[in-house]
Amino acid sequence: MEKASVSLQVNGATCEAQATLYDTLLTVLRDQLLFTSAKRGCNQGVCGACTVLADGVPVRACLSLALDCEGRRIETVEGLSANPRMQALQRSFIRRGAFQCAFCTPGMLISAYALLGSDRPVNEADVRKSLSGNLCRCTGYKKIIEAVLETAGDRRSGR
Amino acid sequence: MSDKAGLFRPDSLSEALHLLATVPDSRPLAGGASLIAMINARIVEPAALVSVTQIAELRGIRVSPSGEIVIGASTRHRDIAEETRLSGTLAVVPDAAGQIASATIRNMGTIGGSIAHADPGLDFPPALVAAGAVVEVASTAGRRRIPIVEFFVDWYATALSPGEIVVAVHLPKPKPGVGLYLKHRRVAGDFAIVSIALSRALDGETHIAVGGCGPTPVASAEADRILSCSTSGAALAQAGEVLTALADPVDDVRGTAEYRRLLIPRMLRRAMFDAAAKSAA
Amino acid sequence: MSDGGDAQGAVGKSIAQLEAQEKASGDAKYIGDLYRPKMLHAAVLQSPHAHARILRYDLAEALALPGVRAVVTGDDVSEANRMGAFIKDEHAIAKDKVRYVGEAVAAVAADTEAIARKAAQLILVEYEELPAVLTPEDALAPDAPAVHEDAAAYFKVFDAGTEGNLCSRTSFHEGDIERGWRESDRVFEGRYETQPQAHVSIEPCGALAEIDPAGRITLWSANQSVFRVQANVCESLGLPMSKLRCLTPRIGAGFGNKMEPHVQPLVALLAMKARRPVKLILSREQDFEMVRARHPFKIRVKTGVKNDGRLVAREVEVLLDGGAFADDSPGVLGYSLLMSCGPYRIPHAHCHGRLVYTNKMRFGAFRGFGVPQMTFATETQLDEIADALGLDPIALRRKNLKREGDAWLGGQAILSNGLAECLDKVQAASGWTAKRSLSAPPHTRRAMGLSCCAHISGLLSTGAIVRLLEDGSILLNTGAVDIGQGCNTVLAQICADALRVPLDRISLASPDTDGSPYNWGTTASRVTYTTGKSVMGAAGEVEKKIKEHASEILECAVDDLELLPGGSVGVKGVSDCAVSFAAISARAHWAVGGPIVGSHSWVFDQKTVDPKRTAVIGLPFPQIGIFSFNAIVVEVEIDETTGGCAILRAWSACDVGRAVNPQMVEGQIEGAFVQGLGFALVEELVWDGPRLANPTLMDYKIPTIQEAPSLLQPIIVESHDPTGPFGAKSVGEIGINGVAAAITNAVNASLGVRLRQLPLTSERVLRALLVQEEQCAVEPAR
Repeated sequence: MEKASVSLQVNGATCEAQATLYDTLLTVLRDQLLFTSAKRGCNQGVCGACTVLADGVPVRACLSLALDCEGRRIETVEGLSANPRMQALQRSFIRRGAFQCAFCTPGMLISAYALLGSDRPVNEADVRKSLSGNLCRCTGYKKIIEAVLETAGDRRSGR
Repeated sequence: MSDKAGLFRPDSLSEALHLLATVPDSRPLAGGASLIAMINARIVEPAALVSVTQIAELRGIRVSPSGEIVIGASTRHRDIAEETRLSGTLAVVPDAAGQIASATIRNMGTIGGSIAHADPGLDFPPALVAAGAVVEVASTAGRRRIPIVEFFVDWYATALSPGEIVVAVHLPKPKPGVGLYLKHRRVAGDFAIVSIALSRALDGETHIAVGGCGPTPVASAEADRILSCSTSGAALAQAGEVLTALADPVDDVRGTAEYRRLLIPRMLRRAMFDAAAKSAA
Repeated sequence: MSDGGDAQGAVGKSIAQLEAQEKASGDAKYIGDLYRPKMLHAAVLQSPHAHARILRYDLAEALALPGVRAVVTGDDVSEANRMGAFIKDEHAIAKDKVRYVGEAVAAVAADTEAIARKAAQLILVEYEELPAVLTPEDALAPDAPAVHEDAAAYFKVFDAGTEGNLCSRTSFHEGDIERGWRESDRVFEGRYETQPQAHVSIEPCGALAEIDPAGRITLWSANQSVFRVQANVCESLGLPMSKLRCLTPRIGAGFGNKMEPHVQPLVALLAMKARRPVKLILSREQDFEMVRARHPFKIRVKTGVKNDGRLVAREVEVLLDGGAFADDSPGVLGYSLLMSCGPYRIPHAHCHGRLVYTNKMRFGAFRGFGVPQMTFATETQLDEIADALGLDPIALRRKNLKREGDAWLGGQAILSNGLAECLDKVQAASGWTAKRSLSAPPHTRRAMGLSCCAHISGLLSTGAIVRLLEDGSILLNTGAVDIGQGCNTVLAQICADALRVPLDRISLASPDTDGSPYNWGTTASRVTYTTGKSVMGAAGEVEKKIKEHASEILECAVDDLELLPGGSVGVKGVSDCAVSFAAISARAHWAVGGPIVGSHSWVFDQKTVDPKRTAVIGLPFPQIGIFSFNAIVVEVEIDETTGGCAILRAWSACDVGRAVNPQMVEGQIEGAFVQGLGFALVEELVWDGPRLANPTLMDYKIPTIQEAPSLLQPIIVESHDPTGPFGAKSVGEIGINGVAAAITNAVNASLGVRLRQLPLTSERVLRALLVQEEQCAVEPAR
């Protein structure tokens, strides 16, 4: 298949990639740009392990065509490593034991990060609704809910 | 206009329509939630894709002077779910939108892409039927409007002609009342086993559509008439019978056809009960 | 040796995973994230037929495609080279025959994945279709086509009794079953059925193999045992084990799917042929279609009781669909029968079963290893018995619990048993009531359900090496694969306390067949117990050597020495008289004795069966493990409109001996519970004729965060096993065993019915509800 160059804004930098019509953002992020935090768990948009931010909004990288992402601001967990909100989430996840194998964790963190993006108070129902598209097979979800709520609570009380 | 390796990103609707009419083996690309999943699985392999989500004309929700609400085809499910102007008898539409798949998919999927895909397990089709939607479509030959009940034709098949795309979904002016979407599924985010879309005005005018029970949403003017006149147990049972007789469900991994037929009257009763409770609140 | 009673110690603390930072930052590298220079990508051609002879291959078009570097088929492996955990019946790739739809028939290595996939589609295979057997009953019929014509001749590690499509049979006879029936006041019999469940680790299976100029292969894969990968690849490719080195990246869970081989033999074969590194990651669909799944069980349970509730006799008969290859199935059959009397005193028992080959994907190890299925049958029947006798379900169980000094079915001593405490705790925490209906919102019903179960920790062999590095820090090498459950951390905690050093003084070597001592694998809930014991043993050797040095340095007897917290040795009762590990290690390296290394190696050695007590035929393992226990109470809400069930609250108490890392123990209990919830309510692999109908995440659903109970309370009970490291037993599987039974007991109590088939789909529950509604309509006075 024909390849074209595409200029992508990823994690604050402009990256040049080569993509066919069918190459997804997930494929380009992982294989060319070497941002491997986004994972391929199903390639159908169901498992959520590929979730990244596009213009601040969680999307499935496996359902986004690389060529169609030109002009969009893409962020992965790697790119948010210096972000205080993400760091607070990561600390809570670690403290609470909110991952075991952690294959789902980057996608889970992105979804939780987006949920905590406004100043709106967040309750358990909100967490469940926001994260219902991120499948986890290891934890049973309980510690994930606790970690996200803990971060939300800490953030509101200024910790 | 030029493409990149087969991806076109026109700025205008007329350009998009021209491309779809002239570029061989091309398909419109909206949110990608359905189409890219199919491409990833190599179920479809189009030679070219015409992206439509960046076309301004197809975006957004507006209220026409007559009070009719017009939803652009590229409006994301998330935005429809949060749209407060879809209230009263139209509330069935955001209720359904909010139950599609998951939050991330709702950030991506569009109403135009969803109904054009016409998977009978989807949530918009019965909700739009209950809401009395009209679908506006366009091609290089011009525009036309298709009442929603004529839009869904069969499994994964719509009334769209080759080269036609959905440009907007028109909803009648909302009336005071309730609208709700009752969805029975195995786990959160799954397709409906059976769903009931209900729209009921304060004056009693009721519209019901059943999802997941055949190639297209199941609706009946007679069932609507029965429920508009009475909500007695007998009326509910009768309306349930009418809808069940019209349904044509199949056996699949989510449930048997027989189970779906059992569910229709039960869920109808429950939906009417929930609607009454919502009204009272 | 320290007993780990320190407040400063690591054992008993909820310490974060050693890998936590890399996992939370997205830097963890799994098999899909690994790249090697000049790496090729692979694609697999799968069989379209359930049963067919392979007549010939036409590879010309595939090989001619630019970018294709190698194609392999069954012609590339020898007939004699077969692998299999208990019965060696499987080649690296289908040879001469295909035995299930989806089986790997050919594989391609090419410059890109797209080229490899295209080339795979260009491979022509000529088949002669054969009649297929899709159920165990069909496979056992006289004149049924043979899935394995040479089954009787295959090498087997035990007396399987293979005959035709009967792969193996196992039976236990204890006491006198006929006398048992005679002594029973009442006999209950029921037939139960459970469904195939897919593992659905979020990471699909994958492997990367690289060959060096001398022909030695290095292979990374998503695995639960580098040693099983090594053995299986070498056996199936006819390689000496010294020619294969197996390594482990981070693993995205396994639950049993990655314990025995998936694509490793195929990938190694491609690398050998292409003479370049080759990587293959299965798609999700392939992960569903061509690896393994939980066995469907058909179970008949017959139980005799006295009117006062004492259990007298039990007969269990099971029929297992094993799929096309034996894999771990003989173990699942044997083990599920071993557990089929549950943690109760039942003097007379006859537990037997058969495993049958069919033309479907192999069934194999999956968390619980047959016990979730068996427990569903036996624990729901117990509630039926309680109901019939007018006894509370907890009271019935308490009356029959195994007591101190009792042995398990077969005769193995039970050294620690916290089940009574587990029951006490879930009863108290839940406010247990056997009432059929708790108060519930409109259109719903609520009820509670209970189950008890057991599992083993242990099995087979393991080792550990502890090295004191020059600066006194410690390198621990066990070969145990951490699949996410946290064993690296737990073993480090054990080592830290054994030597009284801070946890950050310990690092772990990654499992490597070249450098690690043999470890059978991360399976059978064994690592904390068996490898933990090895760690204690190796640390003990290091302690001994350290003290020998210290006694010379400090000029005192070894018996006068003690380890001090922080990594030094001192004289008991004397302050300021100590020498650091660093100083000792320097002395050892440069002056006296050589670098300090401690090692330990053992095979679990408690015999499962005392032949004087129990007559056993066809048990594929002579030693299995020590016993852990669990009690669960759930509160279920049934939607009367649809039959849908939600688990509102759950309490699960596990006797883990000692919780080395309480947070991780909770994680195992919680994760196992939700996986069990999926097994109970929604998950089912469905075959449409010979092919899988739902090999996708659209169609096969696992619980999402929305299905997790509002309250899920794990309760840790510590019975302090005398043989476990710091008293610990393992906990990886036990949390799943009783979930389906507890949920079913709640639903049955609520509806007054006896549901005997999993999953309890909303359809099944609604039909039961309708039956009950009809009965009430007929007999409204009741």
